Amino acid sequence: MKKENDILKWFDDQLTKPELDALKQSEDFKTLEKIKHYSSQMEAPKVDAQQALNAFKQRPLTKTEPKVISLHFKTFFKVAAMLIVMLGISYFAFFNNTKNFETTVAQTQTFKLPDNSEVILNAQSSLSYNSKTWDDKRDLTLDGEAFFKVEKGQKFTVNTSAGLVQVLGTQFNVKERDNYFEVVCFEGLVSVTHNNKTIKLSKGKGFKVVNDNIELIDNTKATSPSWLKAESTFTNISLQQVIAEVQRQYDVTINSDAIDTTQLFTGTFTHSNLNTALQAITIPLKLSYKINNTTVTLYKYEGQ
Amino acid sequence: MTDRPNNLCEDQFFSDFYLKHVQKASNFAYYKCGDNAKALDLVQDAFSKIWEHCAKIEFSKAKTYLFTSINNMFLNTIKHNKVVMDYAKAAPYIDRDNQSPEYLLEEEEFKTKLQQAIALLTDGQREVFLLNRIDGKKYREIAELLGISQKAVEKRMSGALKTLKQHIKNI
Repeated sequence: MKKENDILKWFDDQLTKPELDALKQSEDFKTLEKIKHYSSQMEAPKVDAQQALNAFKQRPLTKTEPKVISLHFKTFFKVAAMLIVMLGISYFAFFNNTKNFETTVAQTQTFKLPDNSEVILNAQSSLSYNSKTWDDKRDLTLDGEAFFKVEKGQKFTVNTSAGLVQVLGTQFNVKERDNYFEVVCFEGLVSVTHNNKTIKLSKGKGFKVVNDNIELIDNTKATSPSWLKAESTFTNISLQQVIAEVQRQYDVTINSDAIDTTQLFTGTFTHSNLNTALQAITIPLKLSYKINNTTVTLYKYEGQ
Repeated sequence: MTDRPNNLCEDQFFSDFYLKHVQKASNFAYYKCGDNAKALDLVQDAFSKIWEHCAKIEFSKAKTYLFTSINNMFLNTIKHNKVVMDYAKAAPYIDRDNQSPEYLLEEEEFKTKLQQAIALLTDGQREVFLLNRIDGKKYREIAELLGISQKAVEKRMSGALKTLKQHIKNI
């Protein structure tokens, strides 16, 4: 083995002089020496380089061009901005699970909730809920006035800035306007939480807070709020609130500087005719009015 | 480092590279397959590959790429030719001072036997042996070139020497 290794080292020019001298003593040495010597004189066929190159150039050749991708900053920012906008839009379109219902002046609209409950929004009111969590918790937020027909199911909660209304399956009206919060139950059972106090309302009963004055309504004969029939009914309600409702149902601005708006009103006004509505309000209170475009001015009636 | 496209793609540059390495590449291919025409084909194919990918090959690695290509391409071809090596014209004998006709004849006979013996080597043995003997490459270098271990190179070399010895002695 040592001899074989040495022979290999010899051919690799790695053998030391003493090792070589030792190897010279072996019997194969002469033959191997000749092999080593003459084989190194061998040559492979000579190539005519230029001729080969010419032949090479005759070949059908393709080269893949290098791709020069330069960063154009202007385009980069345009694309980036677009992406952000698109992401933003898609977020709101697809990922936002909040559903909104809204009514404008003089508009009354019926909406269906995911569980088939019905809500009718009175003018200038808005309602929102999370469609994703609706199956677990029927939670919605109301600003304004709405009549609810709730299907039996999970707890149904109406959140308003003034208080919380919870039901299981029933029909009730929630009214939340400036300084005015009223809940009337027309069927079933309703629980109202206001200022950390909870009260349960059964059919025909109502709860009202006007200018922080709490009042309980008893035995409403009505089976549904009047506004569903395109009318607004008031019982001992301040004129201020009545005027506010007129402004919601009609596209007008009412100027009441010349009169006392704290006086109480009991009556009904229609949603379908401004003059009739104004008369229904002003006559019992001995008031008069003037219409100028979209402005109604109320003043005291100086007649007999 | 500049960002200019790779030099190899430039005509003049490539041609210079070609002329510089074509003989060595051809030798390498010839050691492998033993057929002149086939060797040249292999070489042209390898250069084609370099030209095709000129944009991706770094110039410092081009030579390695050339030989590796030849190596790989050869592995895919059918080998059946025997290599007949030739000697350089003005090749000296071992004993330069000995001018006796008997000696000269003896040496020429040996050379013929050696030539024949080399044709009997396996492809692997032959290419290692010739790379070592003609190109003067160390086992380590050959190992790198062929993509095998140094031990494998030594084994092939050992086998080659054994075959050559046996053949020369028997005749």
